[in-house]
Amino acid sequence: MSRDTPSRPDPVPRGAARKDTGRRPRRATRTEARNARAAAGFVLPFLALFVLCFLAPLGYALYESLLRTERTGPLGLGGRAHQVFAGLANYAHALADDRFLAGFGRVLLFGAVQVPLMIVLATALALLLESASARGVPFFRSAFFLPYGVPGVIASILWGFLYVPGISPLVKIAESMGWQVDFLSRTAVLWSLANIVTWQFTGYNMLVLIAQLKAVPGELYEAARIDGANAWQVARHIKIPLLRPALVLTGVFSIIGTLQLFAEPMVLRPLASSIDSGFTPNLHAYSEAFVGNNQQVAAAEAVLLALVACAVSFGFLRLAGGRAGERAGERG
Amino acid sequence: MSNRTVHRRTVLGGAAAVAAGWALTGCGEGGDADGEPPRERKKGQRIQLTFWSWVPGIDKPVDLWNHKNPEVQVKVEKVSAVNGQQYAKMHAAIKARNPPDLGQIEFPVLPGFLLDDGLLDLAPLGAARHRNEFFGWQWQQSVFGKGVYAIPQASGPMGLFLRQDLFDEWDVPAPRTWDEYEAAAKAVRKKGAWIETFAPANGNRFAGLAWQAGAEWYRTHGDTWIVHLDDAPTRRVADYWESLVRQKLVKTIPDRQNAWYKDLQTGAIPAWLGSSWGDALLAGNAPGTKGRWRAAPLPQWKAGGQAFANWGGSTTAVFAASRYPRDALDFAVWLNTDPESIALLIDGGYGFPSAKKGYAATDLDVDKDFFGGQAYSKVFAAAGAHVDTSWRWGPGVDTLYQRLGDAFTDALADGGSLRSVLTKVQAQTVADLRDKGLKAESGG
Repeated sequence: MSRDTPSRPDPVPRGAARKDTGRRPRRATRTEARNARAAAGFVLPFLALFVLCFLAPLGYALYESLLRTERTGPLGLGGRAHQVFAGLANYAHALADDRFLAGFGRVLLFGAVQVPLMIVLATALALLLESASARGVPFFRSAFFLPYGVPGVIASILWGFLYVPGISPLVKIAESMGWQVDFLSRTAVLWSLANIVTWQFTGYNMLVLIAQLKAVPGELYEAARIDGANAWQVARHIKIPLLRPALVLTGVFSIIGTLQLFAEPMVLRPLASSIDSGFTPNLHAYSEAFVGNNQQVAAAEAVLLALVACAVSFGFLRLAGGRAGERAGERG
Repeated sequence: MSNRTVHRRTVLGGAAAVAAGWALTGCGEGGDADGEPPRERKKGQRIQLTFWSWVPGIDKPVDLWNHKNPEVQVKVEKVSAVNGQQYAKMHAAIKARNPPDLGQIEFPVLPGFLLDDGLLDLAPLGAARHRNEFFGWQWQQSVFGKGVYAIPQASGPMGLFLRQDLFDEWDVPAPRTWDEYEAAAKAVRKKGAWIETFAPANGNRFAGLAWQAGAEWYRTHGDTWIVHLDDAPTRRVADYWESLVRQKLVKTIPDRQNAWYKDLQTGAIPAWLGSSWGDALLAGNAPGTKGRWRAAPLPQWKAGGQAFANWGGSTTAVFAASRYPRDALDFAVWLNTDPESIALLIDGGYGFPSAKKGYAATDLDVDKDFFGGQAYSKVFAAAGAHVDTSWRWGPGVDTLYQRLGDAFTDALADGGSLRSVLTKVQAQTVADLRDKGLKAESGG
């Protein structure tokens, strides 16, 4: 396991300080063999679930996306339906669908606004709760995290009541102040959804960030205090840079979640005619599969969605990783 | 983010479905592979049939059946409280070869299930001998070629519900023609209310209104489906509603949702072009307006005309994978023809019976009090007698509704015409059918 072996990719992130542990390559001892077996034992359940719940559905979706149904019998009814290889026809069909492409544009816009907003908010909450003078930390931590405990569907129903004109107290209050608001109008509905998502997941992301903050060694703060740094300077120059790994993690999660946006528009759809059947790519695939009963097209759309999610999240990781490298380089 | 939760639930739900599938196939005696002749129950053998339905009060007639038929027990599973939302699950269950024995399926979506090979042809089991017990046009809704694919349960002749007290107070007569309806809408608007909502996403009702005007969306020619959404009657209906919307005489909020119910409760919307089963919906969601509603016939295009239409109506279908199709058929026939069963179904507010006998034998005016003592069902009975019986449904109606709803919404928001939507959706529907491997043409 030497880090000097040239054929292996370098496991140390670019720019990070290298530590030479001084270990030389040697033959595996009996202890190591036992450890390897134990490790395999730990990894196996994960692998089994990974194959069953991730690779298998993925493979099935890929397989389905390459098929097409042919029908016989009078008018195509009551005969036999059989599946034939369709090549990329389902992908072509999906990519020719304006609504499907518009859905991608919509979620990307949504993500570009909502994800940074939510991460900034989560960071601010985490810093406030982790500041030395914070009071009632356990209470506020739970309070901020609580919305995450509400399932997305329930959260959407709840917010739906606050959005629908005629019922919503918010609309009523706004009207009494002379404002005409329509949370479900075509221009507003995307941001009404963003609000639900932000409400739900800010606390979750905050908790991830707090966990990272907890891992910061106390000496750093002590040193900063000795140097005369105030709370803001500590946050700015110590906490936020050290939060980077957690920020990248929550960022990737949020980006993937954005692309998968489904429950919120699905629940609000009957209340708001501004949400069409292809509002998000996931909703479009759902409509293809379960309204149109075109599973093969839906499978192709799901695969395309996965590819885009993959590209965007790896793109983000590259971007974030690159920056981290530059920063580390500057400091070094 | 949002979908971490959904994801987890999907996985769990999927796992549960798989488990249920194993359990169901596990308890059988095998022999339900494809292509085998219909399975039979051994004499004296006790079996259980599962029945997916959303109809309110369906448990009562089923309990009665279970009481009378100890050997063939039927278990109702309410998959969804809303019709339409369980079809996705039915299609998935068919694909997974794990459907229930029986299902509640509305007329318009039957062809979609046939495309899936999901329903059992009941003709070889002798279903045709029950033909004359039902109204001909309703029986015909589940007949395709020589096959009989479901037992009709109920229909939904359309009419106009209105708040008589408010119409009287505002001195607005109940409209008898569509011109009068427009005039009434103007009068109501002057009083600060909106006569109704034109819910752009409600394809079902739009289809009913087109049906009344004489449209024929689906036709067949040889083995080709002819789609004719963009015909003169449908254009007339589209133009009419577009004009009402542009004059701001109707709302455009979704119907049968909280905001709409609120408007019904407060009188902000004093009318509804609904269907016979709408009585239960009004009574259940606006109980405070009891006694103030009346039913009137659907407004006519020609003064003194007698053109009516149907919105809704459903069947009891037997799924192709049912292990005991003969018993399932017996239950389906009993459920929809037995006078006691029909009486219980009517109590639940399921619409107008498809069976001739049950129709005459029961008092349909279950909630006269809500309608101020009016024998309102007579209005719908008369409408039912004049429904244009040549209307046929084709495959992919759900997709058609969705496309229509999306395009209507766009048109109303962006200022396009509803008429142009018809042209567009017709072309899309033909393409959809071809994508499903069917022969389809645009009607000219």
